[in-house]
Amino acid sequence: MSNTTEQLLRQATISTFENLAFLFLEVDGAMAADEAPLDAAVAVDFHGPMRGRLVLRTSSNLLPVIASNMMGEDEAQHMPMQRDALGEIANVVCGNLLPMLVGVEAVFRLDAPHWRTDTADARSGDAPVSRVSFDVEDGRAQAELYVFTGRDWLDAARLAHATA
Amino acid sequence: MAFNVLIVDDSAVMRAMIGRTLKLSGLPIASILEAPNGEVGLRIIHDEWVDLVLLDVNMPVMNGEEMLRHLRADERTRDLAVIIVSTEGSGTRLAALQELGAAIVHKPFPPETLRDTILRVTGVTDVEYYGTTAATGDHLDF
Repeated sequence: MSNTTEQLLRQATISTFENLAFLFLEVDGAMAADEAPLDAAVAVDFHGPMRGRLVLRTSSNLLPVIASNMMGEDEAQHMPMQRDALGEIANVVCGNLLPMLVGVEAVFRLDAPHWRTDTADARSGDAPVSRVSFDVEDGRAQAELYVFTGRDWLDAARLAHATA
Repeated sequence: MAFNVLIVDDSAVMRAMIGRTLKLSGLPIASILEAPNGEVGLRIIHDEWVDLVLLDVNMPVMNGEEMLRHLRADERTRDLAVIIVSTEGSGTRLAALQELGAAIVHKPFPPETLRDTILRVTGVTDVEYYGTTAATGDHLDF
């Protein structure tokens, strides 16, 4: 399951950063950015055949860059808008990932992105189903998918991908 | 013809981003109006002249599908051009929106996809958009 899920999570994250924020993610970068902290985090909870959470973390020095690329410099100066910009990226990653994982027949509801003040895992004791990390400019980004219920949908999707 | 465009999206970031894309697109835009949900969007349409609605699906208070059904049920707005701009991935839900006469632009979108979809649904011709001197097939990048 991990390989397929990881590939799709990577694909959705790269595509969203490129198209919304005009930032190009390096998957296997060996840059100084590897040391950059992942100190900004936002989460999107989803409900449907599966229930879970997508968590997107970045280095906080990327927040003004992301916001500026999305909205222009004037709008991007304020921290709430910078946080909302990261939230919108997480929302789009999640919205694109779920049908890629389980098919377009499934209907999901996404909660509004919420800012996370800590960088801990989504819930105590939960491990992400998949995690992908990137270098981006002078910072890093990381996307994690948590599935709390309905993991059988992921198993079915893995089987479908394997036999396709 | 210059358009009055209404952007309905609960994300202020996405409204700003779509507005910026419109301004950079070279499309003839007269004004850009914004609403955070379908209910406010309907109120604006009642008060202002709107040529085109760019509509998100998942929003609080009144979602995009509800707003679109209200528009189609009202004789005054039945034919209003509507483009759904959303991450919505459900084939069932997208088909329902298309049956209501909306075009779909999937997030994330490159700017030219939004521009081309607007040209298609509004029926603006190349001459109206590019001008008579540049209507010889020159490609416009932005």
